[in-house]
Amino acid sequence: MTPLRVTSAVVGVMMLILVGIMATRDSGNDRMTTYLVGEAAPEIKAETLQGELWDLDNQRGRWVLVNFFSTTCVPCVKEHPELVKFSEDHERADDVRIVTVSFSDTETAVKEFFELNGGDWPVLASDTERVAVDWGVVAVPESYLVSPSGFVAAKVLGGVTQNYLEGLLAEVQTK
Amino acid sequence: MNRYRWFLLLVVVVGALVFSELAEQPVLTNADKVQRIADDLACPVCDGQSVAESDVPIAQAIRTEIARMVDEGQTDNAIRADLVSRFGESIDYTPQKSGLTGLVWTLPILIGVIAAVLLMVTFKKWQSKEKFKLAFFGNKRAMTIMFVIGVPLIAWIAISQFTGSRGVSDTATGDIRSSTRTLLIEAQAATDENKVVIYDEVLTIQPSNVEALAYRGWTFWRTGNFEAARKDLSAAIEIDPTYPDARVFRASQLFSDRDYVGAASDLVALDSLNAPPIVWDLVSASNLRERVASALASEGNLVGALQLLDSGIDRNAEDASLLAERGWLLANTFEISLIGAAIESLDEALIYDPQHPNALAYRALVRSVLLEDQEGSASDIRAFQELPDPPELLVQLLQSQGLLG
Repeated sequence: MTPLRVTSAVVGVMMLILVGIMATRDSGNDRMTTYLVGEAAPEIKAETLQGELWDLDNQRGRWVLVNFFSTTCVPCVKEHPELVKFSEDHERADDVRIVTVSFSDTETAVKEFFELNGGDWPVLASDTERVAVDWGVVAVPESYLVSPSGFVAAKVLGGVTQNYLEGLLAEVQTK
Repeated sequence: MNRYRWFLLLVVVVGALVFSELAEQPVLTNADKVQRIADDLACPVCDGQSVAESDVPIAQAIRTEIARMVDEGQTDNAIRADLVSRFGESIDYTPQKSGLTGLVWTLPILIGVIAAVLLMVTFKKWQSKEKFKLAFFGNKRAMTIMFVIGVPLIAWIAISQFTGSRGVSDTATGDIRSSTRTLLIEAQAATDENKVVIYDEVLTIQPSNVEALAYRGWTFWRTGNFEAARKDLSAAIEIDPTYPDARVFRASQLFSDRDYVGAASDLVALDSLNAPPIVWDLVSASNLRERVASALASEGNLVGALQLLDSGIDRNAEDASLLAERGWLLANTFEISLIGAAIESLDEALIYDPQHPNALAYRALVRSVLLEDQEGSASDIRAFQELPDPPELLVQLLQSQGLLG
């Protein structure tokens, strides 16, 4: 084999390795849908609209749906009645609780929204930027199901419906 | 003379590379640092804009977070690694120079260098073999060329390895809050032996971590290392008297140590705390409060026992088990004035849980022995007999009083 052919072969193999690496890496979109799933839920400790301190760690022993939301986001507004139904259906069993983390919104707007549209779960509306960054939230709405032991079991980008959440909860509970 | 020029070139190239990476940066203000890091990160949701340039909410939040981390004294690399771990490598305008990503940097260079060397070999081969040998191995100039190409390349790769970013779990510069929290959650799923190792690790990073102390103490207790358990649990409560898990663990430890007053004190303190459901489940499933109350009453400290039960009932007025225990302790005083309160408490327990075995058995006994209400007692006994799996101790109690065959 001539050196020129050797050169071509070596360069070709290296190019293939390079292309292989690029092609097999997670795309940004894949990562967005899987980031945090299976990992310990980042800390959430913030004040609710009622001025009480809410801590995700205090929810150990039950499922928690962490919903990132903004009153200015149309899918968030659309999914809200579904969250209300989901919350009401689980109120008696108390097996899953919702917490809303408002993002890039004013406390007053969030308070008015909940007064008008219902939802009696804790709503965190002040100093929530850090929570959003900790959770890698890119755009609202985003929802996460946190297991009773504190791991993120599922992540949903975009709006949810009650049926979708019920199905998701059943799925992660059987895993 | 030519050889010296090559060496001069070598010194300049290597020096420039090393200097550019390792030279001391000018003193920057925190605002400068924030700007520099934000400039070097892509906004996760907007094409072609950096975090510094974009005004979308997440970019603003990331800038705020960078500022906080800079103020905390975290290094640029730690901040970058933290944000990249959350939003992905796609936001990093300067990808890592180590691991698989490092290949993206090194492979093109390697390809170029190998191609150049092999081409040179090819050209030489076109000349006579003797000339080639002389030109390549016998000629110092050719060796110098290889040296000039090779040394900067090796230096470049070495520098790239040492200037890679740190992960957030690297506690030397990482975020303690994130790393200890992850470890603590991992410990939950670990074996007892590994739990202790993980808690030790957390306590090395953060010696005042109350959760690690409390859970290491509890693991010690369950595995029979009682002295170490007592030490850890007391230390945890001393550091943070409001940490509920430590309170319930120590209450259990004190109960086993027959320090019933101490156990009751921890349980009463627990009632004033906003404990997670798992803690209440633990107290309830182990009947710890009822057992401590019963032990206090048997020592003659009925007031302490009732205070402990009432504290739990104040927290959850529908707790049938506590109401039943309260009724039973009151009835056991045989004080006529307390019998009414006893039966009231037992009635209430059965309103909230009509099939509560203790409440049924206790009320049957009180009705039969103290109130001489045999009909009411028989009704409770029938309900008790219909229970799918009545506790053996209660069966024996009822048999001893002749209420069960």
